[in-house]
Amino acid sequence: MYRLPLSGIRVLDLTMGWAGPYASRLLGDMGAEVIKIESAKNWDVTRSPDLRSQDEEKGYNRSSHFNHLNRNKLGCALDLSHPRGRELFLELVALSDAVMEDHSDDAMDDPGLSYDVLRQARPDTILVTISAHGKDGSEAGHVVGGAHAEQLAGLASVTGYPDRGPHKSGISYSDPESGISAAAALCAALLYRRRTGRGRWVEVAQRESMASLMGEFFVGFSMNGRQPPLLGNRHRSMAPHGCYPCAGPPEAGWLAIAVASDAEFAALCRVMGRSELAADARFADVVSRYRHQDELDEAISAWTQGKTPGEAAMVLQEAGVAASPVASVVDLMEDPHLRERGFFEKTAHLEAGVRLRRMEGVPWRLSLTPAHVRLSAPCFGEHNDYVFRHLLGLSAEEVADLERQGVTGHEPDEAVHG
Amino acid sequence: MTPEAAEDLPLFGFTVLEVGEGVSAPYCGKLLADYGADVIKVEPLEGDPARRHGPFPDDATGAGLPHPEKSALFLYLNTNKKGVTLDFSTASGARLLRRLVEEVDVLVENQPPGRLEELALSYQKLAHVNPRLLMISVKPFGEGPYGRWNATNLTSFASGGQMYLTGDPDREPLLTGGYQAEYQAGLNAFAATLAALLGLAVMEVGQHVEVSAMECQACVLENRLPDYAYRRSDALSRRHGNVNSALTLEEALASPQMRARRYFQEVDHPVAGRWVYPGPPFRLTDGPPSDGGWGWRAGRAPLLGEHNEKVFGGLLGLERSDLVRLRAAGVI
Repeated sequence: MYRLPLSGIRVLDLTMGWAGPYASRLLGDMGAEVIKIESAKNWDVTRSPDLRSQDEEKGYNRSSHFNHLNRNKLGCALDLSHPRGRELFLELVALSDAVMEDHSDDAMDDPGLSYDVLRQARPDTILVTISAHGKDGSEAGHVVGGAHAEQLAGLASVTGYPDRGPHKSGISYSDPESGISAAAALCAALLYRRRTGRGRWVEVAQRESMASLMGEFFVGFSMNGRQPPLLGNRHRSMAPHGCYPCAGPPEAGWLAIAVASDAEFAALCRVMGRSELAADARFADVVSRYRHQDELDEAISAWTQGKTPGEAAMVLQEAGVAASPVASVVDLMEDPHLRERGFFEKTAHLEAGVRLRRMEGVPWRLSLTPAHVRLSAPCFGEHNDYVFRHLLGLSAEEVADLERQGVTGHEPDEAVHG
Repeated sequence: MTPEAAEDLPLFGFTVLEVGEGVSAPYCGKLLADYGADVIKVEPLEGDPARRHGPFPDDATGAGLPHPEKSALFLYLNTNKKGVTLDFSTASGARLLRRLVEEVDVLVENQPPGRLEELALSYQKLAHVNPRLLMISVKPFGEGPYGRWNATNLTSFASGGQMYLTGDPDREPLLTGGYQAEYQAGLNAFAATLAALLGLAVMEVGQHVEVSAMECQACVLENRLPDYAYRRSDALSRRHGNVNSALTLEEALASPQMRARRYFQEVDHPVAGRWVYPGPPFRLTDGPPSDGGWGWRAGRAPLLGEHNEKVFGGLLGLERSDLVRLRAAGVI
């Protein structure tokens, strides 16, 4: 079989939503066998928010969001709140390298499935727990979404237009970032186990992994005790540095430009046909340019408004000036660079449609073991047989029995995320 | 908390060479070092440009004047590394870099596209020197039509799709605070490095890993990209105007939760002084919360060229007279 870096690693994945599933998607991309465990009563909310798919038959298997986040994984229905489900889960733990959880399955908060219990099933097991605040401390139990972690970590307080208050990212930024951290953490624990033979309980607090991405602000605050002013799109030591309006259709586009040196500024002026600006004392060096940014921004906007973002970026880059269109999702999907790199892959899905749709590929490009979308996201309970018959060695009758008891199944209770 | 024994850290025993500037590759190198790897950072003779970006501590004038050993950005991004200076655009400098590559498991770099190739330091060339080398290249775009484009954090944030979604709908798109495009690329590079290290034991030969900041962002646009792929609808792809209350830096630092978990840590530095740094983005523990280890260590950034003798003399075995000669020639 084609080998990938994590080939042979089996991960039981109890996470739902975005952070945990993004972590396990990266692990699956790298070749781990990820078994996503849901149950009829407790299934991944991203199967549902897709408004169109809810009206379709088995819409829970057709959600675009779920199907992108859960590619390269297997799916199994197993109710951990049922005593028999718990037994089977612990048998799976003994056969697996790691378990990932994010409190989506309440059963994991029960002492019946603590880290110590998992360790009895497999002494060197690795448990990855993702939470908003961490396992201990006064706010440990508080539930927080990925969007909110940005405000709690302080990132939102340093983001914003200078004339308005704090702002947050346009995505629930801490979810994917803590997901990448969790994937890295699991790999670190596997490396540790390979050397020492010992397992670990790995803990990712979203609020903390978020704060780690803005360390200079905290070190700076401890130096000077000052909240820095909101800079909008400007930079402390580069000027000009901004986002400029461009020509249409269907609506105005935007171009980001950042000038890091006098030579780049001279090149920008040349491209705009305004070489006199480079000789102007007001813009002679970065300090004077910083002081006179409003005038500069006005001159640059006058030029960009006559160009599309793509044209403007091209001529500026030819002159060595850092510039990029502010890309929308539509732009990205048509982007010539991503197209030539083969970033988007064509995938079909058992129930969402055999028509090939494009999906973002793997953001880590490994020369010897390139990773691709190998498996489409699992339909609910799609790999029950693999798990119960092949891995656990149950008979067909025993599996039918589990279905009758509601321990497993092929259909979620749709009222749960109604 | 007493520091953990080095061998209790998860990346103990791995050696890394970082040829990184600014944020992306240095953040990857920092995480590798904080979790136990032995990381040697190569800086140009005038230092990593991050040393010239602030914030800096206020001096008597209250101006916070630039000082190469006092940049909060550099201090944070280079903890626990050894620091050497080396001009590898010279022939003897490139030779020394190749010697260092022989000694390490991982090379992390974010040099301007094409620079290492021009100096005969491409992965293909370095793999001859060290066949087990994992080379991690963190780039704004990666190889391809934009491969040679100039980029900063701002233009990277614009190219990956996140800037389009950030800001008020009636205003220009907005940059998220700090260097988020570059941090994301560095975090991805760190995770990719660890995955590739796991694969190395199976593969027995090294490989080249390229991480594109543009692609890292395009993977995490919430449900916007999936929605467009499924039904060509970008109805949700508008900027968010939600301005929320947010903890200030001071409030985040003082938060009882963060304090109870001792997330923020004081770190002393011989020139910059004793300041507060963020702690680990994840913890590896032996069980329930305790004073036991996190698999992580606090530490400080190196002074410019602090470990030249230790690395070029101790590790590579150069004589003191060689070092004097290299210094006089402007190589180290």
